[in-house]
Amino acid sequence: MTGNQIIGQILSGVSRGMMLFLISSGLTLIFSVMNILNFAHASFWLLGAYFTWTFWKILYSPIFGLWASIPLAALTIGAIGWIIEVILIRRIYDRTLTEQLLLTYALVLIIGDLIKLTWGVADRIVPKPKMLSGLVNVFGSPFPVYYILVISLAGFVALGLWWLLYKTRFGRRVKASVFSREMVGALGIPIHRIYTGVFVLSLIIAGLAGGVQAPISSVTLGMDMSIIVECFCVMVIGGFGSLIGALVGSLIVSLVYAFAIMVVPKMALVLIFIVTAIVLIIRPWGIFGTAMRT
Amino acid sequence: MGDIWYSDEDLSNMMKTNSFRLYLWFALIFGGSIVLPLVVGVFWIHVLTEILILGLFAMSFNLLFGYMGQLSFGQAAYYGLGAYATAMMITKTSIPFPLCIIASILIAGICALIFGYFCVRLVGIYFAILTMAFGQLVYYIIFQWYEFTGGDNGIQGIPCPMLLRNAYSYYYFALIIVTIAIILMWRIINSSFGYTMRAIRDNCNRTRFIGINVEKHMLINFVIAGMFAGLAGSLWAPFNRSVSPDLANWTHSGIPVFMTIMGGPSNFFGPLIGSVVYTILFTSVIGFTEYWPLIMGTIIILMVLFFRGGIVEIFNKKTGQIDMNGSRKEGIFIQNGLRDSATNKGAE
Amino acid sequence: MGSEILLQIRELNKTFDGFRAISNLNYELRLGELSAIIGPNGAGKTTFFNLITGYHRSDSGQILFNGKNITGFPPHLISNLGIARAFQVINIYPTLTTYENVRQAVLSDQKRTLDIFTLASRLGRQETMEILQSCGISGHANVISGTLSQGDKKRLELAIALGNKPKLLMLDEPTAGMSGEESKETMELVNTLNREKNLSIVFTEHDMSVVFGYARRITVLHQGEIIADGTPEEVRGNETAQRVYLGEEA
Repeated sequence: MTGNQIIGQILSGVSRGMMLFLISSGLTLIFSVMNILNFAHASFWLLGAYFTWTFWKILYSPIFGLWASIPLAALTIGAIGWIIEVILIRRIYDRTLTEQLLLTYALVLIIGDLIKLTWGVADRIVPKPKMLSGLVNVFGSPFPVYYILVISLAGFVALGLWWLLYKTRFGRRVKASVFSREMVGALGIPIHRIYTGVFVLSLIIAGLAGGVQAPISSVTLGMDMSIIVECFCVMVIGGFGSLIGALVGSLIVSLVYAFAIMVVPKMALVLIFIVTAIVLIIRPWGIFGTAMRT
Repeated sequence: MGDIWYSDEDLSNMMKTNSFRLYLWFALIFGGSIVLPLVVGVFWIHVLTEILILGLFAMSFNLLFGYMGQLSFGQAAYYGLGAYATAMMITKTSIPFPLCIIASILIAGICALIFGYFCVRLVGIYFAILTMAFGQLVYYIIFQWYEFTGGDNGIQGIPCPMLLRNAYSYYYFALIIVTIAIILMWRIINSSFGYTMRAIRDNCNRTRFIGINVEKHMLINFVIAGMFAGLAGSLWAPFNRSVSPDLANWTHSGIPVFMTIMGGPSNFFGPLIGSVVYTILFTSVIGFTEYWPLIMGTIIILMVLFFRGGIVEIFNKKTGQIDMNGSRKEGIFIQNGLRDSATNKGAE
Repeated sequence: MGSEILLQIRELNKTFDGFRAISNLNYELRLGELSAIIGPNGAGKTTFFNLITGYHRSDSGQILFNGKNITGFPPHLISNLGIARAFQVINIYPTLTTYENVRQAVLSDQKRTLDIFTLASRLGRQETMEILQSCGISGHANVISGTLSQGDKKRLELAIALGNKPKLLMLDEPTAGMSGEESKETMELVNTLNREKNLSIVFTEHDMSVVFGYARRITVLHQGEIIADGTPEEVRGNETAQRVYLGEEA
């Protein structure tokens, strides 16, 4: 195994980790603010990829096609998220854990089938824009230019979320409501709007990530099922409710996977779960999580 | 401060009246299941067998959920292990079928012992996710270990043991096994151990303070639940003639959760009722559309939003009291303590 | 008095995030004592109970029960050794009947909790009914305990603790929320348990009439330290205690 190969693997791991972070960040936001574990989060991500394909097909334009499709898809997912929050999610804030999990599990089933109904079972392919389809040389290893987009986007989202949560009034309210729902309500701050806002924002990010994912590999049914479990692993390792944790956890999961693929390819996926289980056993609330905040 | 002394006789009489009602229901259901196959066609025999097997699976889940208060999203791991163990033993060895079943139960139990040791140290969502992680671990091992398990091809063409090739025979065979299993479960739930589970569910902290090693007891229950799930899986393999890794996947773990919530987790037979409803619905729907997940998802949403106690709860509201859990005559019917146990456990 | 020492605490310390809850505490309890721990809110009474019963681990110091070092033991082991506790905030099994609540403790005492073969309905009847009767709640044996009145729940709280046949009973505010009449009944029961069954009892209370009416020894806690310890008369006459806590009372 040459040094170049190792570097190549690390880079590949990092970019995959950034995609995982994009999805997990929304999952973490929803969990930390509303205490709901959204099984369907990756399904919205997948939906974003499919919508991107559709918009790209409609807008068929070699220059603007993808650049317009991705944001459009993200906004569409955000809109869908808004509807779902108002109709469904809002009703389960006070319910037991089981009921919440069942409901989001139901969403996984429904969205999966709706995708199948709308787009069929064939793989959908979205080509990368010319500008981003080449390779660059990073430390002697060939690296797809497109991945730079992924990494930059993830960085942008991370910074954006940080700014939003720590530098704006909305962010302060969000953090206050994490701390105490009753207090915020008593202070006259519209808690429902905060929840809706957080949910929609998370889904926009998911849709965005889905759109960016579309050109990377073909868009297939069932991608969401395996990704969501990886996201849970990310949250476990990084810490429930922590955005830094989502970032670090994503990197750890992806790098473990990247190296495992090289060394013990068959055990790669298994290894992720072993690591997850170990973290849960030693430190149930993850690296950056705070103890038992249910 | 009324001072009434209930003699031994009084107490046992009280329990007897409730037991009588229970035995009556049990006899009706059991009698029905014996007679029913004689009036329905072969197709429905298959459905009935499936109801029994999945019902057992769901009831094993409820041992952990309804009676111990913890949500496991990885029960399918033990079901899958049982199914695969039996499948591999039947197809690759000449071990007689009854021994295959027993071995499968033991394998599932050992796995539950190893995983459970770590799971019982957590509660609430952490417990759910760890059980899910271990479940996926089993799934991926089965999926990747192509040489041993057939990978994602699964194992096809599992022969049914000679005497049970007939659909009717297999049905009665499954009926006997599942009935025995249910009777065992009933005894366990109403034993001293079973009540200790209920105590752990209601108030884990208090239970420690009356001298009970909670983790140890939870682990034993976890293993028992795993063994019943393994038994269900081992009944499934020759029935379905094939097994696939999906049997152990987390989405499959959702099935007993759904069945139990739909039937009503606060009732002993709730999961079985859920299995009846689920299997009949599934069989009917899959006949005219492939979009079963869509329908199932919609039903789940309606159920969670509007029918909270499950079917049993709906019945209770209409007829008064169909309580099958022993000596309860006064007092309002309380949901079986399905609160998040996160606040109950942990001395931190 | 010449009776043996049941509970011995040496140099006990506990700090929570910089807050000194218990500070170099030394305490001895003899067999058969009926003793009260009093002190203003935050004095450390509940922490004291929590440390003895294993809910918290002390930072340093030793706890000996019946000569055995139980420092750092988990709650269930301490309970098995003979220390039972009734909680300040009602801590029962709300979906089980009153009878089943107490029976659970009895089953634990009889070491039958791992028994998956014997139906629970056949076990522990005599002992459970006796305890229910002595606590005055046998009339509600078959009622789901979540629906009991507050006073009955408090009595059940005590009854569960008795199920373990403890040698030392620790009661955290046994008459909290009770009327005068109910308090008297409860304390009479406590007194009887102490006198007739030779059960050593330690309780915390805010109601001074209860404390001075029944306790034969009072320990005053303040900011994690014992500032007075002795018979009711001695404590009444203690100036520091007066200043810190008793103030207008008794």
